[in-house]
Amino acid sequence: MTATVPPPENHATGAGRDAPPRPTAQAWARENLFNNRHNSVLTVLIGAGLVVLTIYGARFLFVTGQWEPVRTNLTLLMMGTFPRSEQWRIVVQVYLLCASVGLLWGGLTASSRDRARDAGVPFSRARLRDGVRRWWPVFVLLAVLLGMTRTWLPLAFVASALALGVAARRLMEALPEAGRRGAWFGAGVCALAGWQILSGTGGIAWWWGAALTAAAALRLTRNVRTDANWQPAARLALVAGSVAVVWAVYSRLDFGGVGWDDWSGFQLNLVAAAASIVLAFPVGLLAAVGRRSKLPAVRWLSVGYIELIRGVPLITLLFMGDLFLGFFLPTEDPLSKVTRAIAVMTLFTGAYLAEIVRGGLQAVPRGQVEAAQAIGLSAPRVLGMIVLPQALRAVIPALVGQFINLFKDSTLLSIIALTEILRIRESIHGQREFLIVGIAETLVFVAFAFWALAFTMSRESQRLERRLGVGER
Amino acid sequence: MTDTDAAATSQDQPMVTLEGVDKYFGSFQALRDIHLSVGRQEVVVVLGPSGSGKSTLIRCVNRLERHDRGRIAVDGVELSNDVKTIRQVRRLTGMVFQQFNLFPHLTVLDNITLAPRQVRRMPRGEAEDLAMELLERVKIPEQARKYPGQLSGGQQQRVAIARSLATEPKVMMFDEPTSALDPEMIKEVLDVMQELAGTGMTMICVTHEMGFAREVASRVVFMDEGEIVEVGAPEHFFTDPTEERTKRFMEQIL
Repeated sequence: MTATVPPPENHATGAGRDAPPRPTAQAWARENLFNNRHNSVLTVLIGAGLVVLTIYGARFLFVTGQWEPVRTNLTLLMMGTFPRSEQWRIVVQVYLLCASVGLLWGGLTASSRDRARDAGVPFSRARLRDGVRRWWPVFVLLAVLLGMTRTWLPLAFVASALALGVAARRLMEALPEAGRRGAWFGAGVCALAGWQILSGTGGIAWWWGAALTAAAALRLTRNVRTDANWQPAARLALVAGSVAVVWAVYSRLDFGGVGWDDWSGFQLNLVAAAASIVLAFPVGLLAAVGRRSKLPAVRWLSVGYIELIRGVPLITLLFMGDLFLGFFLPTEDPLSKVTRAIAVMTLFTGAYLAEIVRGGLQAVPRGQVEAAQAIGLSAPRVLGMIVLPQALRAVIPALVGQFINLFKDSTLLSIIALTEILRIRESIHGQREFLIVGIAETLVFVAFAFWALAFTMSRESQRLERRLGVGER
Repeated sequence: MTDTDAAATSQDQPMVTLEGVDKYFGSFQALRDIHLSVGRQEVVVVLGPSGSGKSTLIRCVNRLERHDRGRIAVDGVELSNDVKTIRQVRRLTGMVFQQFNLFPHLTVLDNITLAPRQVRRMPRGEAEDLAMELLERVKIPEQARKYPGQLSGGQQQRVAIARSLATEPKVMMFDEPTSALDPEMIKEVLDVMQELAGTGMTMICVTHEMGFAREVASRVVFMDEGEIVEVGAPEHFFTDPTEERTKRFMEQIL
């Protein structure tokens, strides 16, 4: 079959002529599927194959498939051994996260709306409908999960969380620009509060709160003019003050929390992958920049790290991390198993990201650096404002590909006895009633859960790439 | 800061001074014992065959290349290896490149406001006013919100000039600014350069545009094989060059 791209949707043409009419389905098929004898034969054969596959697939999904093991153990697959008494934390956290994401999304929509207005170009606001179209695999996954539950509670939960997010977005969009600035902090506070409710206020958790409060305090007093000599001292006092206040509040608050080792099931896959992605990105960035550094020590360190890690299989590293990472660390009590696994996955992915980013850095023309230097930008600004934005844009597909790999590789955590989804699935078939029931079905379910999210990531990366490509022709 | 008190004493001191400058790329000597001083409000055009070291010469002035011997000073600030000094010199100089080198991920406006906002800590509104003023000067204010990729070569080069001017340099250096342009766009860039010269800007231009050299230059410098062969007024160059090498070059291009 000839791979002809279907005609694009009607674009407004500036030349005052209409785009050529869209061919009818019949005409399109005749031209692309049945344009000669070979192609017609191929079309019929492949079409027949597809029909057979569809019938078998549908029969498996809806008729013969024994989904009882999945249905019965849905909570187990998703949450594993996560303490049920702590479930409320996840509920609260999801609500706060939805609010935070809603605010962020609204803020982005509003600022691009304002930019479009300034530039005098039309702006179309993304609606929930567009969101569903964009993230349909996720919504299908949600629908499957909700369809398998027996109570209405999860449905009410998902619907109300979505509604909260949409409402937060609306709110942010309606705010004037000055109000939006405050609401950005609101988004940060929501995200942070969600995190704290999950992880508790113990340990160094209050650092995050202190950092956010100090940032807010500095920002709010930015326009207050003082004697220039006192400026640094006043700033310092402000930071110290917010740290003290936050510490005082946190030391009186204690509402417990879940540790890393409480995570389990698909949640563990999500948490471990998300944490590693967030942590590995800066690691990779630093290593990539370090590898190009003029300072030999920095360069050797980066090259050593990258080449050492890339030469060893992830499974080996995971075993090493599990068995003796603790020996290298000067702490009395060893890090939790999950923390060590995340550290290993971060280091592993960081090395690959570094090489991807380095490729992007090399693609930025020398003239860009020279122009930035010539207008007097300092070296960190040349890197951060000119080189990196262009380098990263060039490697988005590869970066996201690496993130998707990392997400899928989170199933390897099962080999160091962490109860991620694949291991839970195995344990389901240890249950007496499911010993030989639905073995394929549980696997298909696990595969589908990963596919829905990985495919969405891939779609989002393509979208991001298209959007950032605007103006670069 | 230091500009004001330095200006009082340095009014008659040259804007750019090169004394005994040598530059090597590996074992290849790109500049040989260059002595040149460019006075205030002077427009110096540097001519010479390709590979003669013209570009290297001006790239040494703002330290895009590091010279190996001799001294270079801009407005009394002598280049050293000190990062602060280098940035000070770069603030005093503006540079326009053959390939424009606009930042493709930023709008025209952001390209121009970047340096004022980041280097001079100018508030956004003020920087944008300045940028619009400069875009008026180069006659493309209506392109402010576009990306460089959406502009023609000539427009891009004019944005590049505006971007350099936004740092309020005392010297502007042009590295073959019209060589990458289609013929019909050369004039719009040269017009802007000529107007700039009319405002009293000190300029060093590496170019092959003989018309520009003849009309705008206060002095012409001819370089060959890394050496300054001859320096003189444009009339002298176009009518009666002294050196044999200059004669041959002028015959070839005229």
